[in-house]
Amino acid sequence: MSQLIWNGLFVGAFYSLVALGYSMVYGIIKLLNFAHGDLYMLGAFAGFAMLGAAGGVFGSMTLLPLLVVLVLTMAATGLAGVALERVAYRPLRGAPRLSLLITAVGASFALEYGMHLVAGADPRVYPVRLGGTTLDLLGARVTVQQLVLVLIAVALMIVLNVLVTRSREGRAMRAIALDPRAARLMGIDVDAVISRAFFLGSALAGAAGVMAGAYYGKIDFLMGFLIGLKAFTAAVIGGIGNIPGTMLGGLLLGLLESFGTYWLGGEWRDVFAFGVLILFLTVRPTGLLGERVTERV
Amino acid sequence: MSAPGTGGASGLDRVSGFARGLFDSRWPGPVLLLAALLGPFVNATPYALNLMTTTAISVMLAVGLNIVVGYCGLLDLGYAAFFAVGAYTSGVLATRFDWPLLATVPVVLVATVIAGIVIGGPTLRLRSDYLAIVTLGFGEIIRITANNLDVTGGPSGIHGIPGLFGGEDKVVFYYATVVIVALAVIGAARLGRSRIGRAWRFVREDEDAAAAMGVSPYRVKLAAYIAGAVWGGLAGVLFGAHLSAVSPGSFRFLDSALILMAVVLGGMGSNPGVVLGAIVLAVLPEALRDLVDWQYFVFGVLLILVMLVRPQGLWPARSRETPQDAARAVRPEVRA
Amino acid sequence: MSEFPASANPANANPVNRSPVTGPGRRPRRLLPLAALTVAAGLALSGCGQGLLDKGGKAEDKSSPIVLGMLVPRSGGEAAIGPYMTNAAQLAVDEINAKGGVLGRKLELRPEDDACDPKTATAAANKLVSSGVHVSVGGYCSGATLPTLPVFGKANVPMIIPAANSQELVDQRQKHVFLINGTGTQQTDAAVAFMTKKGAKNVAVMHDNTSYSKDIAVQTGKDLAEPGGPEQAILEAVTAKESDYGANVTNVMAKKPDFIYWTGYFQEGGLLIRQFRQAGYKGPIMVADGSVSPKLIEIAGKADAEGVYATMTQTPDTLQGADAWKTAYKSKFGSDPGPYSNQSYDAVRLAAEAIGKAGGTDGAKVIAALEAIDGFQMFSGPLKFTPEHTLTKGGFQILSVKGGAFALEDALA
Repeated sequence: MSQLIWNGLFVGAFYSLVALGYSMVYGIIKLLNFAHGDLYMLGAFAGFAMLGAAGGVFGSMTLLPLLVVLVLTMAATGLAGVALERVAYRPLRGAPRLSLLITAVGASFALEYGMHLVAGADPRVYPVRLGGTTLDLLGARVTVQQLVLVLIAVALMIVLNVLVTRSREGRAMRAIALDPRAARLMGIDVDAVISRAFFLGSALAGAAGVMAGAYYGKIDFLMGFLIGLKAFTAAVIGGIGNIPGTMLGGLLLGLLESFGTYWLGGEWRDVFAFGVLILFLTVRPTGLLGERVTERV
Repeated sequence: MSAPGTGGASGLDRVSGFARGLFDSRWPGPVLLLAALLGPFVNATPYALNLMTTTAISVMLAVGLNIVVGYCGLLDLGYAAFFAVGAYTSGVLATRFDWPLLATVPVVLVATVIAGIVIGGPTLRLRSDYLAIVTLGFGEIIRITANNLDVTGGPSGIHGIPGLFGGEDKVVFYYATVVIVALAVIGAARLGRSRIGRAWRFVREDEDAAAAMGVSPYRVKLAAYIAGAVWGGLAGVLFGAHLSAVSPGSFRFLDSALILMAVVLGGMGSNPGVVLGAIVLAVLPEALRDLVDWQYFVFGVLLILVMLVRPQGLWPARSRETPQDAARAVRPEVRA
Repeated sequence: MSEFPASANPANANPVNRSPVTGPGRRPRRLLPLAALTVAAGLALSGCGQGLLDKGGKAEDKSSPIVLGMLVPRSGGEAAIGPYMTNAAQLAVDEINAKGGVLGRKLELRPEDDACDPKTATAAANKLVSSGVHVSVGGYCSGATLPTLPVFGKANVPMIIPAANSQELVDQRQKHVFLINGTGTQQTDAAVAFMTKKGAKNVAVMHDNTSYSKDIAVQTGKDLAEPGGPEQAILEAVTAKESDYGANVTNVMAKKPDFIYWTGYFQEGGLLIRQFRQAGYKGPIMVADGSVSPKLIEIAGKADAEGVYATMTQTPDTLQGADAWKTAYKSKFGSDPGPYSNQSYDAVRLAAEAIGKAGGTDGAKVIAALEAIDGFQMFSGPLKFTPEHTLTKGGFQILSVKGGAFALEDALA
């Protein structure tokens, strides 16, 4: 039982981290960024390349270089996200919202198969592996590395939340989410703020990518697709656009999958998770923490 | 190529009464149909026939989804579910119980209507983004269920589905498909202009106003859903008959997304646009096939470029916009 | 913020009062070039002179190369497999051409991407047939290969399928279809025999819900259900392409198995091995042939992969005298051969042999020649097809990971 919960929370932490970027971008410009999962993939490969380049420099220490690589990767994927927004999304900001869906899917293909061209289709294996010293925590088998990863994820999420709720920058983001025209009138540089939101969201996805690479070991060019889908789901469960809600949504999805596997077996897991999700949404149509918006008067 | 662009248009205008009502504007429908009918006389290799048939089927899918997304404004990320219901229902009946394929059509209709109600019923009251995830979820549920059940043949699916009339030639099948798809396109266009079609657009533009005017948004949306489901299901029958096999691999999220992309790429709500979008999305990957590893990379880049050039879609629905609308749609810095 | 339907198309603000007619000539001018472009693109794509009315059959040019078509996944989730198969096939083609080709004609390999997707596979098969291939030597995903059978069948093109081996392919009893990979049943026989030999009592069988993998898993379950021998503890399915299988591992561990058999591919296999070892599982783990790849060991980590068993047909690694083959492959492509490399290589050689015996590329004659083949040397041993066009002997052996590489453990002779 406690093992099930731990499995779910651990997977859920990854979902949350990726979902946050989804949710932020969605909250601010109402864009389903289908390429977001591919930024996770990009992060994993960027980390892979850096670790490979660093090679023997760090010697036998693993955690410190990983943290350095993590930060560098976050910067790199953040910039990639900004570039993506600049090229594929910003020019279309006045167009019908679904037009952005096309460029998002286009960007997703371009990123995936661009990486396919660069790195090939064969999965790559991370040079640094977080092996496991297992602890027994309330009957669940937990490794120290898992704990560290979850702590990093939680720390990143808290930082983000503080940034969005407490800082000027965050206020600007929320203002744009509410009303971009009014925000502009109040002297907010909308484009710059949106760029920064993309930077933050993409950096988090990149961080999740490196962490997944270092923990699971295997990365490939399509690794972002499924998790992108799950992150979208998690963001919606939580109440899309709502940051604490998204974190909860990710964890909840992880738990649903863990228990679904246990009760119904692996092949019915996603049916269970989606089924519960649909039932849940019919009861609570705005997600866990989403506000009830009056839709138009 | 530029000659027909200028000279042909005026020539065709002169016979404008000829096919009024086929499409929003009069001539592209018949021209495309003619092109489709003449296609095999130009090239009847199995490859060309196959490509033309799959293109026709994707046209039907896109037109069906356009009813839901374009007319009624409901974002559906799991349209492949209806496609799958149609393909599997007819496939299972045809292979396990040896029904002739045409005899399965009534059952397929019933099954897709039920699927439309089951999926639409509890969820259509949701806000659009939540509706999107719910439809995505249903799409996955249908695919995974088909993958897990024995009656649907598990992961390798059903094979040995006879042709529409029992093993006819591919050319015959192609022509049958073209006729059915043409009827489906015309039917969708007519629906769009009917009473219910106006109600769909009304609900899309302003649900509350529609409700105030005595249109029940819920029932209207459900009708759109069911219509979309029927189109998708019938396309599924054609798909199964065409490939002779149905397997879960054809109904992934990516497939739903591709159909949706055909609708958006062509221009939501515009039938000719959606037909064009479906043709482009079906032909483009095959045209890029010889690029091998570059195929999907180029495909993705092209998608972005097309949207940057034509953000409203290749052939947007006829706009009746006022200058104010235009000003609202295009933000100043984008125009600059 | 307004929601999707309203903002989706602000241009259509007044749908009620729309009139059915646009200004003449205003839109069409925009449309016609587009339509013309589409039609032109269609024509250009398909090439001219092959319409319904041109029925004249092309006379076979006796000096042109013999073309072998090969459908493999080169995009999508299974894209990693494609190069392993096409490289090996190309190697065989080059070797045969270097010796003068077949019947004085060169061989030419024409690979196409099937993306493991039925629709793409059908398109690709039709493309190959249209371009006049003589023999098909591809086929990896069973689900994508099934709908291509009638396509090749209609064009009278014999198929030598190197990898796809699900029972449905056999059950169709198509005359032009030959499977040179061991069938699922042959593999499970070997697997269960080895489990019994190892004294396993409680076997967990795991698959990834793809047709190849589930086929073997379900069949293994049936074999285990027979009285005597080990019992099946659990049949667990995972979702391919994910990273965390913790929930599945927990499920399996709860049944306390003393033997685990994974029937999927190496990507997930490597992760599973690692996650089972981390979860404290100490017993033997065995993988099926789709997992036999150096990548499996790399992903699982050398330490965790050590001692993992595998059911596998003979491979270059376990065959004496195959070192030359491996070296040739590596020097040509810069990497080690991988899953189904040897079968693909054999498929080309077999096609060449049959065409040579048939004295031409006529489909019926090549099929007859394939049926008549007896004792042709392949990696899997001397070849003779059963009446179902499968291998008489699967030739499955048990490998194990020793010192970071797969090596022969038990020939099960």
